[in-house]
Amino acid sequence: MLFNSLSFAVFLIIVLALYYAPLFNWANKKRILLLSSYVFYGLWNPPLILLLWISTIVDWTAGNKLAKEENQNKRKFWLLLSMFVNLGFLAFFKYGDFLLENFVMFMDAIGVEFHVQPMDIILPMGISFYTFQTMSYTIDIYKKKIKPANTFLDFALYVTFFPQLVAGPIVRAKDLITQFYEPKKATINQFLFGLFSLTLGLFMKVVLADTLLSETSDTVFDSRNVLSFWDALAGTLAFSGQILFDFAGYSTCAIGIALMLGIILPDNFKYPYASVGFSEFWKRWHISLSTWLRDYLYIPLGGSHNGLIKTYVVLMITMLLGGLWHGAAWTFVVWGALHGTYLILERIQKKYLPFKITPFNGFFLAILTYACINTTWVFFRAKDFVTAKNMVGSLFYINPEGEKVLESFDIIKVFTVITILFLCHWIMRNTSVKSVSEKIPSWLLGVIWAIMFVLIVIAQGTGEQFIYFQF
Amino acid sequence: MNLKQTLLIAITISFIVLGSWETYWRSQGYYPTLDDNKDLWAVQRSKVTKATSNDVVLMGSSRVLFDIQLDEWEAETGKRPIQLASAGATPLPLFSDIVNNSDYTGTVVVGVTPGLFFSTTYPMAPPWKRVQTRVNYYQDRTFAQRLNHQISLPFQNNLAFMVSFEEKGYADEINLNGLLKRIRIGNRTGNKMMPPFHEFSNIALDRNTKMKDRTATDTAFANTVKAVWAFYQQDPHPPEKEATMTFFLKDAKKFKDRGGSLVLLRCPSSGRDRMGENMDLPRTELWDDLVTQANVPSYHFEDYDQLNQFICPEDSHLSGPDAQIFTTELTKIMIQDSVLTNSKTN
Repeated sequence: MLFNSLSFAVFLIIVLALYYAPLFNWANKKRILLLSSYVFYGLWNPPLILLLWISTIVDWTAGNKLAKEENQNKRKFWLLLSMFVNLGFLAFFKYGDFLLENFVMFMDAIGVEFHVQPMDIILPMGISFYTFQTMSYTIDIYKKKIKPANTFLDFALYVTFFPQLVAGPIVRAKDLITQFYEPKKATINQFLFGLFSLTLGLFMKVVLADTLLSETSDTVFDSRNVLSFWDALAGTLAFSGQILFDFAGYSTCAIGIALMLGIILPDNFKYPYASVGFSEFWKRWHISLSTWLRDYLYIPLGGSHNGLIKTYVVLMITMLLGGLWHGAAWTFVVWGALHGTYLILERIQKKYLPFKITPFNGFFLAILTYACINTTWVFFRAKDFVTAKNMVGSLFYINPEGEKVLESFDIIKVFTVITILFLCHWIMRNTSVKSVSEKIPSWLLGVIWAIMFVLIVIAQGTGEQFIYFQF
Repeated sequence: MNLKQTLLIAITISFIVLGSWETYWRSQGYYPTLDDNKDLWAVQRSKVTKATSNDVVLMGSSRVLFDIQLDEWEAETGKRPIQLASAGATPLPLFSDIVNNSDYTGTVVVGVTPGLFFSTTYPMAPPWKRVQTRVNYYQDRTFAQRLNHQISLPFQNNLAFMVSFEEKGYADEINLNGLLKRIRIGNRTGNKMMPPFHEFSNIALDRNTKMKDRTATDTAFANTVKAVWAFYQQDPHPPEKEATMTFFLKDAKKFKDRGGSLVLLRCPSSGRDRMGENMDLPRTELWDDLVTQANVPSYHFEDYDQLNQFICPEDSHLSGPDAQIFTTELTKIMIQDSVLTNSKTN
């Protein structure tokens, strides 16, 4: 089920009515939330709930065994079992065809003729998110950082909690499961701010991403021809805005819906396009994934404690795998490699050419950072390397005679939206929507809320899936 | 922060603005209509799975959609047909889907609009892709999508500003994207500009489609539609007779072999459209050969006095009243030929 759909509106109203009806105790309310979460997921593809159940049962069992077991070998066994099941799901469902395709290419390269039909495996929605979430639970228990969930219901709800089930934020057990231990009820202000956040998230998705930017981005990236500089630039900027509004929109909806239930989810985006440097970008973009990769990949691999070269290698491995997490294609690996390279270069600059960031040079550095990040989006969005190569060529003005596929108004529209987006991020980089909304008059916030709602209704939307569902 | 007051202000403003928005568009002549989208189509497609050998499935392009009126068909035969024709589409992929992905053994009426039927077998070509997208959607649609469709119907039926079109490019689109598309600054791409294409029909829940009265009575309006046909006919593609016929006849044989009844139907055209069809897609070369090879009951409007008297207001489709007469007369002929039975009397 999509947040930007009428069926979700009906679903949410029913869930909220049941949740706040004075008919059920807390345990039953949690059961309602769990059942609702399965309905939320099952309305897309019912059989794939089985995967959720398997993941839930395996990690629940592994977590309990790890908590009780003292024998190190047996503890390792339970940890490896959890990793094997979760990563096995990912490997099969997400990377099965990719691995097969690359194996065939490898066999061809060494002269062995090998033909095999693609498996055409369906990608279970949100598998990358919930497998990472359940793995963090087991790993944290293995490291004795947390205790197992009090009840199976708490754990199952942690794995399946519908607001963040299919596209995050990837929430840690210590941050979410503990919230299920005590009855939760949103205050009136929490509830209304959650509703405001839901409206804001839908506005980002339906109006900004789908209506204003997606068509330009699709036109440019679906073109098989070499494009002119302005088309390539507008298409890349459009995608940078589209993916932000799409994904940050989803996270904002998720946080808002959870807040309406009295549950606090962590921020996932903090105005990333105003980042001054790439390490700051990753502290602001998809925060729950970048901290996950830091805690469960970068640090276990050695982090920054084993010398400069090894740190860079570990950083690069983390970013390569982070790229691959987004999709089973080499273009995503290149996207990760570019980010890894940027992070390494930034560390080198900080070590050998340090300089003070002021508000003045910070603004220009933020533009520079944003420009570099846009180059990476080309590989993220392009469906193959030919398209990516053509796009990069056009962006660096190698193809001055390239084809024009966008009308003038499309280009003006994209530049206007992206300029406003960048300025908003710069102005908001040290604050939050919540604190701004507390400072402005109620009537003004009401007008803003109404404008967003009216534009969502007028845009209507086409029920486009969120981009991150495919990851 | 007084969010209760904020919400109240937001609701009040939203109510006033959306109410005004609805009033404005109604004053501009818009009214609530259903969108002939893939959801509406999929609901009809799902009926084929339960259809019996007494049922009739209609497929083809917009001519079958406009010219066959389900009420009249039902009145004559006692059975309401399942309308699966799609505007601007070839029936080939749909017929193939029904033949290969269902056990249906009833009657299939395939509309043959020469420019579309013989156009292509290339999956990415618009006439193929339009209907293939619907076939795929029917197979893949989720429960959530089915639910969304059902919930959206009351909104579509009651709000004029909810007018929407699955296929982009309609001049009547009044959602935010459609309104932004009206803004043009020069012609940077150098692409030929399509004349404004206005919706000229209304569709019901069961996809029974009728030409808007205005198309038949307002010549200027009908001319805007003719201008769109002329735009598409600027660069006519030669028919792909061999590929399309081979593809169709293979499925036709399979369908007949399992006991299904296939009927070919050529609906009327007139004016410039008919002239162009006679020139570029001559009957003797295409229709007659198809009928001979398919060896199934076939109805060409030119062959029947009852069917060849109509003038299409925009050259390609019948007006509502004419479509009613056409359907009545056609079904009478088909019953007379024992191609159809009247389940009320039999």
